[in-house]
Amino acid sequence: MTTRNENRASRKPTKMKLMSPQAFRQAPWRVQIQYVGVFMLALVSILVIAGIYLSISGQAAAAGLASYANDQKRQDLERQIADRKARLALMTSANVMEARAKELGFERIDPANAVYIEMPGYTGKFAAVLAPPPGISTTVEPVIKSTYRQSLWDWLFRGINQLSASVGGSNP
Amino acid sequence: MKKRAFSNGHWVALFLTIFMVLIFVQMIRIQTSGHAQKLETWAEKYGYEVRTIQSERGYIYDRWGHLLAGNKEVYEVGVELRYVRNPTAIATALASITGADFNTVLGLASTPYVEGQSVYITLADFVDASQIDAISKLKQEYETSNRFGEDPKLPTLRGLVWSPHLQRVYPENSLASNVIGFFPYRDRENARGFFGVEEKYNDLLAGTKQKVMVALDPYVEQEIPSAPPGASLVLTIDREIQAATEEILDNAVKKNEAVSGTIIVENPRNGEILAMASTPRMNLNEYWTYSDVFTSGTTYNKAIGQVYEPGSVFKVITMASALDLGVVKPDTQFVDTGTINVGGINIFNWDRGAWGEQTMVGCMQHSLNVCLSWVATQMGATDFYKYLEKFNIGHRTNIDLTGEEVFPLSTPGDPTWYPVNLGTNSFGQGVAVTPIQMVQAASAIANDGKMMAPHVLKAYIQNGQQYNTNPTVVGVPITSDTAHTLTEMLATSLEDEASTALVEGYRVAGKTGTAEIAINGQYSSNATNASFVGWGPVDDPQFLVYVWLEKPKSSIWGSVVAAPVFSEEVKQLVVLMNIPPDALRKSISGQ
Repeated sequence: MTTRNENRASRKPTKMKLMSPQAFRQAPWRVQIQYVGVFMLALVSILVIAGIYLSISGQAAAAGLASYANDQKRQDLERQIADRKARLALMTSANVMEARAKELGFERIDPANAVYIEMPGYTGKFAAVLAPPPGISTTVEPVIKSTYRQSLWDWLFRGINQLSASVGGSNP
Repeated sequence: MKKRAFSNGHWVALFLTIFMVLIFVQMIRIQTSGHAQKLETWAEKYGYEVRTIQSERGYIYDRWGHLLAGNKEVYEVGVELRYVRNPTAIATALASITGADFNTVLGLASTPYVEGQSVYITLADFVDASQIDAISKLKQEYETSNRFGEDPKLPTLRGLVWSPHLQRVYPENSLASNVIGFFPYRDRENARGFFGVEEKYNDLLAGTKQKVMVALDPYVEQEIPSAPPGASLVLTIDREIQAATEEILDNAVKKNEAVSGTIIVENPRNGEILAMASTPRMNLNEYWTYSDVFTSGTTYNKAIGQVYEPGSVFKVITMASALDLGVVKPDTQFVDTGTINVGGINIFNWDRGAWGEQTMVGCMQHSLNVCLSWVATQMGATDFYKYLEKFNIGHRTNIDLTGEEVFPLSTPGDPTWYPVNLGTNSFGQGVAVTPIQMVQAASAIANDGKMMAPHVLKAYIQNGQQYNTNPTVVGVPITSDTAHTLTEMLATSLEDEASTALVEGYRVAGKTGTAEIAINGQYSSNATNASFVGWGPVDDPQFLVYVWLEKPKSSIWGSVVAAPVFSEEVKQLVVLMNIPPDALRKSISGQ
């Protein structure tokens, strides 16, 4: 048979053990700081992710604009190249060259008075070769790197997959 | 002391929280409001622009890489009506700098802006870069004195814009215009090549034209397809030879008061056309003068597009056929009595004379119609026309130029054929050909019996690679021995008569031709086609020249007007082609 006090004594530690592992309650300001900390951690995490998104989006936009500008520049350059070729051809056309030759004091000779002189090693003119023959590839196809095609999540999952593959090995 | 329920920190936190919530609510509202949906619709509508990607038209080069057709940069000038402040200033500037009509420009620039309808108007096109520089400078000056065009009393060019594009240009103007053709660049949407290689190879030159939706949102990943330029062409034409040939032709037409003229220079070994000149010609940069230059149906390129009775130059085909068939030999004797009856019709010589006993060399030298008619009768109609078929007479050469014509050859059995045709056809009357057909046929004689396909395309460049064309043998109508024998006969006949076609230092073979022209069904002795076909050097032919002068007035005879033109052409050719005189060439090659 147990006494009332004995019953109290035997219950008390059991109750305390159930209610809290600590002997004292956390001070209110500590609890607040913990809440604020957790909130701030979540906030910072969101801000970091948002920041990364903003950064990548900014870079993507800049790259897109640069691509657009480069395309415009390429078209401008192609037009300028065509224009320069035409100007050069105008300046070296048969009539212009003959006129220039006359200005410089040259005269056209009678072909009957032309003297053929053999030049050892001279094999004459060669027909125009303005591009390599077929079979030699000279064009470079424009390629957008996969880095610029994947989203943050793609990048994250790809990294995780690679990591898991490197740890667990790849499937046969 | 009573503790406060809300400290200052709490108030600040509450304020910030409410503030953040408001921001969040505003974000949601912006994204979902009716205005946002309107914006989204606009974005879908204006987020893309339809861009026409037009390939640059391919270039045309001569055989050495000289540009014959290219593209230059010009500008389209227009107004964005929304920003126009002073139409009068715009009209004044354009009229003074580009020569545009003041009232027209003023009327266009004064058009009221209507969103979605009247936004942009073109004021002038194909404006040179120098003129654009002047406009740009003026616009900047006005902008300095009248920023944003706010002062209506001061001039401003706000709203005036320009954009560059390419325009077809022909640096050599009219050189080889009959071969090149032209591209009517002013019709920017639907232009295509006309005549010559511009039309023949229009699809190659034009490349591709495509319309693509281009996103204006830089976040949208999109590779803007680049339109590869049209293929460029390398012609067999030699610019220097072409220029010399055109000059010789123009002088010959003028000197002999001919209606028109044609000269073709070909390499008989491979069929490459080195020069093809014909009158009239036009400045390709002013293609709109076409109807003024080519009046009343004048053929654009008579070398391929006009058939005519060639006359005695056709005798080389008759003699080649007879020699090849073995009916005659160079020393076969023929007694010319001055007339021969074929199919019931009497045929006479060009001078109505009788030349007595002649060898075949003499027949060719004196160009005796009676003799050649006799040769044809010795062959018989079946074999004679079989050989003409072999020489491709009556068929197109299929030269790679637009506008080739052909006159069908009447053969036994055709309703238009009569027995006398055997006689008249033998000396080039009653049969019609184009100069290029004669060149193709003669190339067989100059090239060991192998008849080459005439062509002007040497190579084309597509996707950065050059594809060379290969010479094509279209037939072997006669043997190599026959070709050499006839060439020797023709060279001897020219030498024996001291022809004006001869060139000192170079042995050439050839034949004159004088064909009467039928007017109202009757042959006129006053109107003739004077021709000459020749090639050389005889032992190693490197050029074949065909000359045709239409209705010369100085003399009706081919030997008088066409043979000297051949000689003059060859004198230029041997220099431009670096062909040494025969003696030197043989000593170099150790013969």
